[in-house]
Amino acid sequence: MENNNPNSCYHCGLPIPKGEVFWADILGKPRKMCCPGCQAVAEAIVENGLEDYYRFRTEFADKGDKQLTETLDRLKAYDHEEIQQEFVVDDGSQKQIQLTIEGISCAACGWLIERQLLKTPGIKRIAVNVSARRATINWIDSQLKLSEIISQLESVGYHALPFQADEHEASYQKETKSYLKRLGLAGLMSMQVMMLAIGLYFGIFGSIEDTTKEFLHWVSFLLTTPVVLYSGFTFYKSAFSSLRMKSVNMDFSVSIAIIGTFVASAWATITHTGEIYFESVCMFIFLLLISRFLEHRSRHQASLISANMFKYIPLTAIQIDSDNKQNSVLAKHLKPGQKILVRPGETFPVDGVITSGDGNVDESMLTGESEKIKKNIGDHVYGGTINLSGSFEIEVENELKLSLVNKILRLQELALADKPKAAVYADVASKYFIVIVLGITLISYFGWLAYQPDRAFWVAISILVATCPCALSLATPTALTSAMAKLNQYGLLVKRANIIDVMPDVDTVIFDKTGTLTNGHFSVSEVELFNHSDENFVFNLAAGIEQYSKHPISQAFQSKTPLEVNHVDTIAGKGLQGTYQSQIVKIGNLSILDDKLNLPANPDDSRVYLQLGKQLIAAFTVKDVVKKDAKQLVNDLSSKQLVMLSGDAETSATSVANALGIPNVYFRQTPQQKLNYIQSLQADGHKVLMIGDGINDAPVLAAADVSIAVGDASDMAKRSADIILLNSKLSNVKFAVSMAIKVRHKIKQNMVWAIGYNALILPLAVAGYLSPWMAVIGMSLSSIIVVANSIRLLR
Amino acid sequence: MSIIYVLIPIAILLVLLAIGIFFWAVKSNQFEDLERQGYNILFDDDVDKKAPQKAPKTEEE
Repeated sequence: MENNNPNSCYHCGLPIPKGEVFWADILGKPRKMCCPGCQAVAEAIVENGLEDYYRFRTEFADKGDKQLTETLDRLKAYDHEEIQQEFVVDDGSQKQIQLTIEGISCAACGWLIERQLLKTPGIKRIAVNVSARRATINWIDSQLKLSEIISQLESVGYHALPFQADEHEASYQKETKSYLKRLGLAGLMSMQVMMLAIGLYFGIFGSIEDTTKEFLHWVSFLLTTPVVLYSGFTFYKSAFSSLRMKSVNMDFSVSIAIIGTFVASAWATITHTGEIYFESVCMFIFLLLISRFLEHRSRHQASLISANMFKYIPLTAIQIDSDNKQNSVLAKHLKPGQKILVRPGETFPVDGVITSGDGNVDESMLTGESEKIKKNIGDHVYGGTINLSGSFEIEVENELKLSLVNKILRLQELALADKPKAAVYADVASKYFIVIVLGITLISYFGWLAYQPDRAFWVAISILVATCPCALSLATPTALTSAMAKLNQYGLLVKRANIIDVMPDVDTVIFDKTGTLTNGHFSVSEVELFNHSDENFVFNLAAGIEQYSKHPISQAFQSKTPLEVNHVDTIAGKGLQGTYQSQIVKIGNLSILDDKLNLPANPDDSRVYLQLGKQLIAAFTVKDVVKKDAKQLVNDLSSKQLVMLSGDAETSATSVANALGIPNVYFRQTPQQKLNYIQSLQADGHKVLMIGDGINDAPVLAAADVSIAVGDASDMAKRSADIILLNSKLSNVKFAVSMAIKVRHKIKQNMVWAIGYNALILPLAVAGYLSPWMAVIGMSLSSIIVVANSIRLLR
Repeated sequence: MSIIYVLIPIAILLVLLAIGIFFWAVKSNQFEDLERQGYNILFDDDVDKKAPQKAPKTEEE
């Protein structure tokens, strides 16, 4: 992908800020970079001869890490034996680890990572899975440390974390492998048996010797046996377990047909009398397995992207024992009552009470509120939140698994489990169908037994095979899988397939504001000066004081030459206060200013005010930039009721809503209020689509009927969302809606066809017009038509 | 036609070999990410380097 836009960073595609420009030579030309981080990453890529990445990538990279050296220092923790026990498999000579890798956006990233790591001595094997954003690495520990591997990844701009698949996912992977093996065996054997069968069909015209014929029958028998025993095993198992539950499922009739045909054919081979249908058995099993496999894949797409919470919780903690000695321990081994030390910039590993120290804490990951909070002795702190200043000694209150962040996670999982589920039509329909078919088969069998006893058995088998609701059970999964594949091309990852069923019923769309409709990057759009004339001075003064703040608004005030402001203090919810050349400086909203100031005629609380000494000197209008295609998305969805829920103040929320044409706006919303709002809509019978990005949106995303996480959504948000937008094209969201309508239509078509076919074929089979091989062809044809119809969604 | 008594057993052996390879491929996770491998052919593993910087080119792959 060539990026020829001179105003955006060649590496990450973000706009280049005014002021200093960074350069890197890529593909023979100097290219503009937005920051030293991107520059460093780009240079590392070029130096290692991996420039092809830029030629063939289809998405921009993530922004480079400015604090690269700091990040590298922190990685040392991964070399602890204890930590490695959790994630690393050691087979004596080699170690193996799974890493989740942030920043993988297209196939070029996978190549880049593999090439970069294979150059490192000590790495034995690396496999990058782009769709799951993971890598499996084998290395020799004596030659290479784990931290060095991770730092290699950091140097080309990817953040890696050790990863352990959860139980659910592990079992899904195991099942997928077993399906693939069964499918592969059945496919390869079917080819052979079919080949022999074609030879035998020609034998009908009399040009084949009896001994050859017999030989071919025995070979077919030999080749079919593993298919029936190994590949078909899933059907017998599922039939048996449903029998134990005192019900019958589709697999019951399938099992009877398979075993019946196989045993009868085997008997015929041995005794040289009767009909032989080994090829029908093989094809039947193979086609059924394909449909099962498709179904299995579409049902479990979710587990692929299961985000991992370790990111929020540090693996290690510094424990202070009774002799005041500091030990590095695993966070999960901490017990209530123990004391730990948390230094500035670190993340709190567990929940606890401060016993000494004070400072500011960033709790945005729990509350969504970006303002920092001042904490003193006796205050509670929570695992996962970040210590911004002060050094704290903390008494542990809860073990890691009982900590607040884990509780939120569990809450979210509960919300997901309670979610209105789409009905799986096929399962319900085929259940009744099976009972009816079994009844009809039994009646015809006895009917034929009285009339023509030697044909009764094959007629019964033909009925079972021909009416196998294979097409019926394929109707939904194939349509869903095709739709998901198509949506994937638009950068939409569908985690829960059944969500597509609900989507067409959505009548209300709810947007989050910051980060979803807007970029979340603030900039100063207007400066109004009072009692002062030098705009540069005013801006540099503001930059000088704002550089002490972590509030997102402070990003708007960035200058290369900030003035020196001392004794800066944060006043929560108001702003900042400091001194400049022994004069007092205040910046923030109206409430921070001195009472006696001459305020402008109509004070506007959404602006940022700057006070120097006893005078108000400037008011800044700070704006969050609305994303380019937000307007288009809003227009595309205008047939639905549109609502914006924002945590921000009235003016900024309404101005964005007015600019985009969203009629309903709710501002200053806490996560709980957002949740209540959605639940009240649902109680009124509305179906809600939520589009959001932040951690504070996570519960709302989980509760909505359908939810989409966009932008650089936090892991928590991705975890609760049903659909994740992987690229930055917001307008692609509309494809999810239009595709859902197409899918529903397609499923209906498939159903009508499958049921129509069965209704048609049943009388023929009962009347004895079908031999088993015709029945298999009929069944396969009807399935193939369903699959082909579904695949048309891909176009 | 007696040649088939030799050819068919050979075919069976080859199929068994193919199944063995396929099972090994499944076991070593080669079917995990089908999306990416298609792109691999686009990438040159030995790029001409214009800048004479450190070039730790290896034969590993």
